[in-house]
Amino acid sequence: MTDVEIAKKQGEHQLKDSLPAIKNTFAYEDTAYHLPISFALTGTAVHDKNTALDVFSKTGNNPIVASECLLAEKTATQGKEPAPYTGFIGDTVIRKLGYSLVDGSILGLALVIGTPDSPGAAAAICRELQEKYMLTFLAGPVIPSLSDNGVKLGLEYRLIPLGSTPAYGIHFVDIIARVAMMFGGVTPGDASRLLAYAAERAKAIVIVFPGLSDSEIALVDGMRVLGFPILSLGDYRGGAWISSDADTIVRKGMEEKGIRVNVTAIPIPMGCSPAFEGKSIRKEEMYVEFGGGRSTAFELLRMRPVADVTDGKVTVIGPEIDSMKEGSANPLGIIIEVAGKTMKKDYEPVLERRIHNFVNYGEGSWHVAQRDLIWVRLSKEAVAKGVKIEHLGKLLASKFRMDFPQLLDAVSVTLITDPVKVADARKEAERIYEERDARIKGMRDNDVSTYYSCTLCQTFAPNHVCVITPERPALCGAISWLDGKIAYEISPSGANQPVEKGAVINAQNGEFDGVNRFIRKASHGEIDRCSLYSVMEYPMTCCGCFEAIALMLPEVNGIMVVNREFKGVTPSGMSFSTLAGTIGGGAQTPGFAGISKNYILSDRFLQGEGGIERLVWLPSQLKEELKNRFEQKLAGMGLKDFFDKIADETKATTIEELMVYLEKVKHPALAMKSLV
Amino acid sequence: MAADAQFGWSGTIGEVTLGATKAEGGTRRVSYRIGGGSTLPFLEKEVSSPSPLIAFEVCDYPPFWSPIIRNYCGDLVNNLAEWTKTADTTYGADLIRLHLNSTRQRNFTDITAMGKTVETVLSASTLPLVIEGSNEPKIDSEVFQKCGETGQGERLLLGTAEAGHYRSIAAAALAYNHSLIAQSPIDVNLAKQLNILLKEIGVQRDHIVIDPYTGALGYGFEYSYSAMERIRFAALKGDTDLAMPIICSAADTLSIKEVREADPAVQDAIAVSWEFYTGIASAAAGAEIICVRHPKTIGMLKEAFAGMKARMGPGGVQ
Repeated sequence: MTDVEIAKKQGEHQLKDSLPAIKNTFAYEDTAYHLPISFALTGTAVHDKNTALDVFSKTGNNPIVASECLLAEKTATQGKEPAPYTGFIGDTVIRKLGYSLVDGSILGLALVIGTPDSPGAAAAICRELQEKYMLTFLAGPVIPSLSDNGVKLGLEYRLIPLGSTPAYGIHFVDIIARVAMMFGGVTPGDASRLLAYAAERAKAIVIVFPGLSDSEIALVDGMRVLGFPILSLGDYRGGAWISSDADTIVRKGMEEKGIRVNVTAIPIPMGCSPAFEGKSIRKEEMYVEFGGGRSTAFELLRMRPVADVTDGKVTVIGPEIDSMKEGSANPLGIIIEVAGKTMKKDYEPVLERRIHNFVNYGEGSWHVAQRDLIWVRLSKEAVAKGVKIEHLGKLLASKFRMDFPQLLDAVSVTLITDPVKVADARKEAERIYEERDARIKGMRDNDVSTYYSCTLCQTFAPNHVCVITPERPALCGAISWLDGKIAYEISPSGANQPVEKGAVINAQNGEFDGVNRFIRKASHGEIDRCSLYSVMEYPMTCCGCFEAIALMLPEVNGIMVVNREFKGVTPSGMSFSTLAGTIGGGAQTPGFAGISKNYILSDRFLQGEGGIERLVWLPSQLKEELKNRFEQKLAGMGLKDFFDKIADETKATTIEELMVYLEKVKHPALAMKSLV
Repeated sequence: MAADAQFGWSGTIGEVTLGATKAEGGTRRVSYRIGGGSTLPFLEKEVSSPSPLIAFEVCDYPPFWSPIIRNYCGDLVNNLAEWTKTADTTYGADLIRLHLNSTRQRNFTDITAMGKTVETVLSASTLPLVIEGSNEPKIDSEVFQKCGETGQGERLLLGTAEAGHYRSIAAAALAYNHSLIAQSPIDVNLAKQLNILLKEIGVQRDHIVIDPYTGALGYGFEYSYSAMERIRFAALKGDTDLAMPIICSAADTLSIKEVREADPAVQDAIAVSWEFYTGIASAAAGAEIICVRHPKTIGMLKEAFAGMKARMGPGGVQ
């Protein structure tokens, strides 16, 4: 056993002591970067003993710098090693390598160094690295061990033999230093940018076999500064090296550095593309269906520890498609387990919503709604082509990995079709839905200083900007403040951006200078002011996806709300669709606001107009939908009998009838401050 | 009455260099710096601002090219070197845009021959070159690597990067110091997002040209125009992620119904008109490069640009 800490200290001393022994001048061929590591760190071109000592002390006696200088001198004195050893690799080749890295055809870089115990060990590791699109550099006795095992070496095999001793591993670092200068815009001498580039951009890992000398250990350990994980196989203890076994070392290293293998093709017997998203599967085209009120069905996405999720694993519990009767409704539980270094529990609901898109991407699969309300169908055509329940799982597992490569390392899917087991699993799912709802429920607008924008709809409403607060979901009802926050974390240049609230301009209307500033920019200068809680003054713009419209009725001094599903004419004299046509497209229309249905239950709703007592009319279906929660809220406010004072189409269809009704029930809006 | 042509804007469009002369490390006889404007085109009080550049498009696999162009140019299309030379000396193009559409053939693999094609065009004309590579993940990496390497030092403009397809192009631009075309589907926010993605991967702002996607006149051009207008307004108001020059290629004009089904006697003239009017409208929206496929369109556009500039007296917009 070698103690890494002790060996490293001794190695550092040895390196330091060797430097003054440099006699000759030295320079590499085909490079504009001198000794690349020394040059990148200090901007100094090292070609002799004095400059070497100077740079060594400038870098705080860095063992990598010492190793670079010593090997350069050795190469100059003794000449390059014969083939297959490459020695120092010139700039022309590095440019090509860098290209493959940026391009993504190489996922990362590995250095494999030392003396393998058994002949097969190194071969297996290198094969795995090749399969995972890693470009592997080799240094030391590992090289003959591989070629003796019949492993082909060379750039075309993505296995590059640097040199006969582990000391040649230094070239691994000089390559990364040059990639940073060529591709990363790192200027020579800017050490902190070099280190940041190496740590964040260079996807590099080091795998160490036994047999390293003290100075070689000091060299390898020095690479930790660059953010490369050092993984060792046996023989080493102590220090910050990660010990591992041959079977898992590659996976462990790639995980540690966040290198992910991309999924490109989905192995299922039906097409899968966003192009199919809009299609529906009608009853006569359907082979089987799940949920939709006809059977028990739900979907759930949960985060799990990495060790508990086998990537790509799909399990079907219960009968497969071939034992389901054509035209029948069957139970279905979709449980997706995900793991990833940057994954957070908060992301679960946002990712879960993607199940809807992904299932619809399938040419013969269809999905609506969410959670335990889902409704899924498979078409006859798809089933005839051989699509099974299992393939839904494959589709989901692959799509999640493809679309969230930065976030997810592993995705597994369980599909339950056994009626008893679905019912059991649903109970657990419902408990989780409740937990999630509770998390956002208690949040208030005043508790946070950052809101989130949504400009997804700018594709068709070019200047529309939604501002999403904890108490005001997006007007489409699909994105809560938490969703906006998470979407921003997952995709920082996407459609959801943080909006600093800034100073209060008008507390009652919910006007803030930070929000105004944001709106001005995001609306491309079209909109200057926005009141988050007012329908009358500077209301938020409307795209076209609002679930409902709140509008003023000056004749009765109140506000009415109509939702998309209501087909009739409202007391305003207009139907939902006429109203929607009037206010949409990104315009700001005082007296009108697009809202989500749930916003009606928010304490902020109509705050600018004096509160919920302004509400005079709702379609009966929406009233029914909100009833339980609405009455509870009103009771809490001491407005117990208010709910029944809100008219609907059974009470009033015209403004005259509405006036009569409101007077009859003594609606509070009539006595409030004039709206206009 | 002269209107204020500045509208209180503070932003300036970034400049992108196309082509490199001998002094700049390349072999082109001219290099262009496009961009740099601080207002909309044809509004400046000074008549100094340059007209948009006109790029003539050629390809290395004529069977995939418009029959209208094949008829007009005749055998020339089968000789890429001659076609390119003619575009430079006879047609009067400012730039050559080479479509490597041979890569669009099924199971294309001949990367070496493709590299030779690039060399052919580079030696047939000394105008700066725009290259359109493949659009197939399997070969992208090799294709763009080859393009980048072959044109090293020439400051090419490589196309076309899209949101799901930009890494190979970005890599070639970074490795060999070329610029690239970033295309988004008629959407200002997606254009910005792609520019940010490119920035994150390391492509500098002065190496990006925006392609807003140009629909043919009457076939969605109004959307393209609106997207260009918004991209340009945002840039002039100070959004640096959108402050890049714009390239427009209204290639669809040659295949729309009105052209396709036109009386053979007038088909060629209709095609030219359609390409011309789409091009002139793109120029009015602010495009710095207009790409055309019909040789006759070049002269018409040049004349039109000269006319639009001549109408502006020293008093600015009349």
